[in-house]
Amino acid sequence: MSGVFRSRPALRWLVPTAAAVVVIGGGAAAGTIAASADPTLPERSAAQLLVDVQSAKVDGLSGTVVQTADLGLPTLPGVTGGSGSGADLMKLVSGSNTARVWYAGEDKVRLALLGTLGETDVIRNGTDVWTWRSSDNSAVHAKIPADALTKKDKALPAGVPQTPQEAADAALAAVGPSTAVTTTGAAKVAGRDAYELVLTPKDAASLVGQVRLAIDGEKHIPLGVDVYAKGVDTPALRIAFQQVSFETPDPEQFVFTPPAGTKVTEPSAAELEKQHGSLDDKAAADAKAEAAGTKVVGEGWTSVLVATLPKEDGGSTAGKGQGADTAQLDAITNSLPKVSGTWGSGRLLQSALFSALLTDDGRVLVGAVAPEKLYEAAGK
Amino acid sequence: MSQVKVRRRVSSRFLASEVRLIAVRRRNQAGLAALAAVPVVIAVAMKVATPDSTGRGQGGGPDFFSQILSNGFFVALAGVGVELTLFLPIAIAMLAGDAVAGEANQGTLRYLLTVPVGRIRLLAVKYAGIVMGAFLAPLVVATSGILAGLLLFGGGDVTTLSGTSISFGAGLLRLLGVCLYLGVCLTALGAVGLFLSTLTEQPMGATIALTMLTVASFVLGQIPQLDWLHPYLLTQHWQDFGELLRDPVSLSALQPGLLTAGAYIVVFLCAAWARFAGRDITS
Repeated sequence: MSGVFRSRPALRWLVPTAAAVVVIGGGAAAGTIAASADPTLPERSAAQLLVDVQSAKVDGLSGTVVQTADLGLPTLPGVTGGSGSGADLMKLVSGSNTARVWYAGEDKVRLALLGTLGETDVIRNGTDVWTWRSSDNSAVHAKIPADALTKKDKALPAGVPQTPQEAADAALAAVGPSTAVTTTGAAKVAGRDAYELVLTPKDAASLVGQVRLAIDGEKHIPLGVDVYAKGVDTPALRIAFQQVSFETPDPEQFVFTPPAGTKVTEPSAAELEKQHGSLDDKAAADAKAEAAGTKVVGEGWTSVLVATLPKEDGGSTAGKGQGADTAQLDAITNSLPKVSGTWGSGRLLQSALFSALLTDDGRVLVGAVAPEKLYEAAGK
Repeated sequence: MSQVKVRRRVSSRFLASEVRLIAVRRRNQAGLAALAAVPVVIAVAMKVATPDSTGRGQGGGPDFFSQILSNGFFVALAGVGVELTLFLPIAIAMLAGDAVAGEANQGTLRYLLTVPVGRIRLLAVKYAGIVMGAFLAPLVVATSGILAGLLLFGGGDVTTLSGTSISFGAGLLRLLGVCLYLGVCLTALGAVGLFLSTLTEQPMGATIALTMLTVASFVLGQIPQLDWLHPYLLTQHWQDFGELLRDPVSLSALQPGLLTAGAYIVVFLCAAWARFAGRDITS
């Protein structure tokens, strides 16, 4: 062996090259093998799976959830790259977020959103809800009134689906006559055999190609959701367990004692009530706004949300920070391409999964459709 | 193979002499002192600026800085965090750049090889020296940070990133874990440095090249448009040392960093061998 190397020294370079190929290829292959492993699960129809999901019940689980997004957004000034809040925002739309979850029944839930050197935790233990932020060493302690337990859903923060379960619920809500629901061969998520439920919009105008739901073969809970844009074979949005265990976590996991030196805010019951009230007010206000300027054009996957921007009332409500935000927003808006047509003119934000149109007369149109559809809606 | 095979017990004398050589070098001592000085500077600065910084509000500084005032333990973490992006890599670059190129530059390499020391053994001993340095450097920073922190701010229970409290002793154990993890990361950097050091006879060239590689790797890791490249970057998972400060610790979160480091070590040690074993030693 060494004789060969002695007579042909150049051959030595084959060794590090081979090592590099093995190392890089090995990493890639490990991924593909895991993905193509064909689990043997009894066949189940789409309808059966849907029922399975709705009636799925687990006593406890813990795991790591990873959310990745690749929406194909154009480069925006101040948002792409850099650091600070802009970078955080960017991570949501093109990047990945990792969270660890623990669940032991409805009243014992802990969600830890992991940052590079920080963490934000939301912990619910019975009637106590703690929010912990490591970045500023602060905690918020809220108590859920016993009588509110029945309508607790409202207390949970709305918005981006945090767990596969929530995301799946949101996707399922969209299922209707507009969608073809099929199942494919089984998938493997977080090392577990899973069924895959495929939702395909029937409307050709939709930018959404497919929504794929991975459902655990044994426990029937959603393990992951992939949203594919049309004609793209990597998911634009993905929320999935990276690792999951169905053992009920230790009750200690849900006990939070604020460490010394922590700023603890405890909103009183009255304040909470007020918050609830203002939430309701906000809902009412939203409803009013809907009557006034917000409407939905079209239906199903190709529905377009049309909203009228509130008139800019300068510094009356906006503080300095918001002023900066507005400036940044303007910079972003101005960097978007100008479009115009019979419907008027405006600026267009286009991504793989959705389009948004900001018209010069102060309307915003958003939908998971091609820009043409937005123009059509703007003309109405 | 015509040469006579002589089975000798591999003596540790060469390694011992290498370690002694590294330890007595003034520049290495000065470098270590500089590493140890940074946490002290941080601690003193925080102590002096206390009234100001509390007035300014919380969360303004980099990670761990805001917690220093309440617990000296975090001086060590802040020190490690600050030095990780430049000082620690430079220290390893100095050591690794010197490994082979330093000997070549001084004209001692050929004498070493006539001793007789096999080339593989020479590389192994040189790398062993680098590895020791890689594990020692973060430990020195952490130790100096703990001492400075305890002196100026005192100790106490340590708050993890997850908002739980652990005892100071448990905190020290976590800190040791952080140092070991970073030691592995820096060992991988040292393997790249050893390879660079076999390419040139100018130790400074290898040192600067390795420092630039590290900085470039950090910069590339910040660019979101290059996310396809990120998994292959050496420095990508260095900040993962924070995983050890969560509660409960998920060791699997350290896996990507350790695997990346392992891959770099294997590939670049092979490359260093391929270069060095076939090279003509002229100086």
